[in-house]
Amino acid sequence: MNSVGEECTDMKREYDQCFNRWFAEKFLKGDGSGDPCTELFRRYRECVQKAIKDKDIPVDGVDFMGPSKSKTEADGSS
Amino acid sequence: MRIWSSEHVFSHPWDTVIKAAMRKYPNPMNPCVVGVDVVDRNLDSQGRLHSQRLLCTEWGLPSLVRAILGTSRTLTYIKEHSVVDPVEKKMVLCSTNISLTNLVSVDERLVYTPHPENPEQTVLTQEAIITVKGVSLSSYLEGLMASTISSNARKGWDAIEWIIQNSESTVS
Repeated sequence: MNSVGEECTDMKREYDQCFNRWFAEKFLKGDGSGDPCTELFRRYRECVQKAIKDKDIPVDGVDFMGPSKSKTEADGSS
Repeated sequence: MRIWSSEHVFSHPWDTVIKAAMRKYPNPMNPCVVGVDVVDRNLDSQGRLHSQRLLCTEWGLPSLVRAILGTSRTLTYIKEHSVVDPVEKKMVLCSTNISLTNLVSVDERLVYTPHPENPEQTVLTQEAIITVKGVSLSSYLEGLMASTISSNARKGWDAIEWIIQNSESTVS
């Protein structure tokens, strides 16, 4: 699967692989310790944050846990 | 506004389904999902895993609908928040579109739990709230989107099955 930032895709794959292993082999089996992928995630996340900014994707300011939310963020009505 | 809901039972234990749900993309049933990123992830004090993801999708809207909505843009971003509780064995996933929000909003909620009577099975309940804004024919469009969601849900179930079949040899 690709990242929204093409330049982040390799980092994403590396992180996903690390995370999926931890998720299946530790987390779901009740091992409560955190994942060992923090450094990979930090690098990947930095790259994605930059891509989100460059592409102007409105990820911030949307609170969407549950249906009772307002989406009046973009008030540039047309 | 229109509410769509459904229930599906997988003939696999909860752990197997959740592993597949977490790595659902890419799969051949949802080619419209073209990008997935994790933007935030953390464990809370109760040991639950929270993930915020950003999905980039090509909405397969019929051209007539695109014409009515007055948009040629079909690339839509979706934000998704999931919580996995490994003790209670429950996964809740909420998503909403964050682009084209002035035209339409689709809020989905999926809950995966073990079948109450059979631990070898997993129940997925899902619901979607669809609101098309500010155009005539909005209820017609909402109906159309509901049927799109309905067929996508079926693809989603097939996708989980596909992931389970195709990952057994690699991880587990």
